[in-house]
Amino acid sequence: MAKIRKILVANRGEIAVRVMRTCKELGIATVAVYSEADRSALHVRTADQAFLVGPPPSRESYLVQERILEAARQAGADAIHPGYGFLSENASFVRACEKAGITFIGPPASAMDAMGEKTRARQNMIKVGVPVVPGSTEPFASSEEARAYAEKIGFPVMLKAAGGGGGKGMRRVDRLEDFDSSWRAAKSEALNAFGNDAVYIEKYLEKPHHVEIQVFADAHGNTIHLNERECSAQRRHQKVVEETPSPILSPELRAKMGEVAVKAAQAVGYVGAGTVEFLVDVHRNFYFLEMNTRLQVEHPVTEWVTGLDLVAWQIKVAEGEKLPLTRAPTPNGHAIEVRIYAEDPGRNFMPSPGRITELRVPGGPYLRDDSGVYPGYTVPNFYDPMISKLSVWAPTRAEAIERAKRALDEYVVKGITANVRYLHAILSHPEFTGGDYDTGFLPRQHEALLGKTEDPQLTEAALLASVVYAYQRDQKRAKSLPQAPAQGEVGISAWRRALRHGR
Amino acid sequence: MRYFAKLHGQKEAVPVDIEPAGDHRYKLTHAGKTVVVDALALEGGALSLLMDGHSYNVEFDEAGDEVRVLVRGQWSRIDVADERRLRLRQGTAGFSVEGKQLIAAPMPGKVVKVLVKLGDEVKEGQGLVVVEAMKMENELKSPKAGKVVELPAREGTAVEINARLVVVE
Repeated sequence: MAKIRKILVANRGEIAVRVMRTCKELGIATVAVYSEADRSALHVRTADQAFLVGPPPSRESYLVQERILEAARQAGADAIHPGYGFLSENASFVRACEKAGITFIGPPASAMDAMGEKTRARQNMIKVGVPVVPGSTEPFASSEEARAYAEKIGFPVMLKAAGGGGGKGMRRVDRLEDFDSSWRAAKSEALNAFGNDAVYIEKYLEKPHHVEIQVFADAHGNTIHLNERECSAQRRHQKVVEETPSPILSPELRAKMGEVAVKAAQAVGYVGAGTVEFLVDVHRNFYFLEMNTRLQVEHPVTEWVTGLDLVAWQIKVAEGEKLPLTRAPTPNGHAIEVRIYAEDPGRNFMPSPGRITELRVPGGPYLRDDSGVYPGYTVPNFYDPMISKLSVWAPTRAEAIERAKRALDEYVVKGITANVRYLHAILSHPEFTGGDYDTGFLPRQHEALLGKTEDPQLTEAALLASVVYAYQRDQKRAKSLPQAPAQGEVGISAWRRALRHGR
Repeated sequence: MRYFAKLHGQKEAVPVDIEPAGDHRYKLTHAGKTVVVDALALEGGALSLLMDGHSYNVEFDEAGDEVRVLVRGQWSRIDVADERRLRLRQGTAGFSVEGKQLIAAPMPGKVVKVLVKLGDEVKEGQGLVVVEAMKMENELKSPKAGKVVELPAREGTAVEINARLVVVE
């Protein structure tokens, strides 16, 4: 395989910028694609070349394979990096790239096929002896059959979309009476989100931890793991905070889970970066959940504790190079990532697109901000609300928590609402600082995380400051209003004059 | 000069008296006590506030009638008005949930569902319209019990921020 000289990044936002940064460091030219809503986006400004691929909705732009490939041809790109989401786990796109003679930076289509459909992935894992959450491996012929199965394994159960991911089509069912309505809802959600209404059933584990293992494989048959990430801080099955090492993993359990993750990747002929997700129960039994056949949002925490650039590795593996390591490095220190979303936790996490009037990002030691926005940028209404990922490193977990909180205190974004305070509340909560938080943590502490952390001294300072602000503003306005009509304004009413001078 | 400041979610506005005391210093009287603060205005709508020897960096973000105020990582939403403005606003939204209430689009998006009809009696907290933005659906609820007297919201239409959707009286 030849050296890659030019990469088209088939994505937007922070991940497109992040991939391009590594490309620049490696001396590789970059090509952006953008929708009509993204002309002013940061990834367009960062790239060497940029091509318009369609209207704002992603199914008419970022998801249209022919447009992306056409842009790659026009630019003369020899490889495509898909980022995460969009076309990153689409096997037919991988085949289309191969056909067009363009290197897809990711696993082969066959590995995606083997892991993409969740029930098939479970069957494949059972075959090679990887433990899976007890549940169904075949689609059900009818809702009666599904209900009977749920009764057999016992409530509570989880309904999950076979084509799924990202929490869509997922339902927890606690009682037999609720089964039919949840089953219908899950099927309809799955159909809308993935174009496939197949839903399977898993035993619901009590207080599970979501722990995932980063794996990496080269084209020469070498597969290693790069330790784990703890991702149990989730809201609506979406990750909000991630950290590594997991506070609940012993070195023995890490080694065991890593070994199983490597086995899972090898079983499907994996190449490149991937993640094997597990649920860990209260007895520290672990079960395969699914494999993500792409780079993940939370990859920076792994980069912090391993000292590796995972995007650089993806590119080198795609060029045919061998992995520079033969076994997992021992984790060095502790890293935490928080996802900054344009949303208002105080108003039921309502999305908050709009113009960013001011943005001041934290600085200081061992801190990284992977952002897709800048001051004056308008966050469009069409895409995911994640605008930035803040991550920190420190020698210990306790120090990393304090550093992340300090960084959040420095983070100022105006014009839109972001979840900065909510993230701070998570990092301050005793259940988080104690380290044994399960996937029920955020929903369980919902109320506490939303507001009871208010400091009365700061509220008073804010109240008095707001009065000074209003007073200074009113004084300034009064001064700017002329006492007598200025030249050329004779005959204009006082009201119009006031309007002209800004009230 | 007297101002009234109301914290978001609280019913009562508190009076605060302010007097300039030279060189970006102000005498503030509130809840029976008086403090002199040093409030240096900075670019981009920020204040460096020194109060009782404490230093606060304060950021402001105007959002309609309210000002969002950031102090040491904590955002507060505060509605501030002087006496004249308070009189002008009586009977309209802002300091109370009496009278006509306009429910406007909190963000740009698309109206995916209208849950009420013109003339419907609604309860406080009842869902009125559903607006979709950034791939998420958000139900907007009535701030008071009353009757739907205006309903400009149309299913399937795109709306800008602050677009009029429903008026409840």
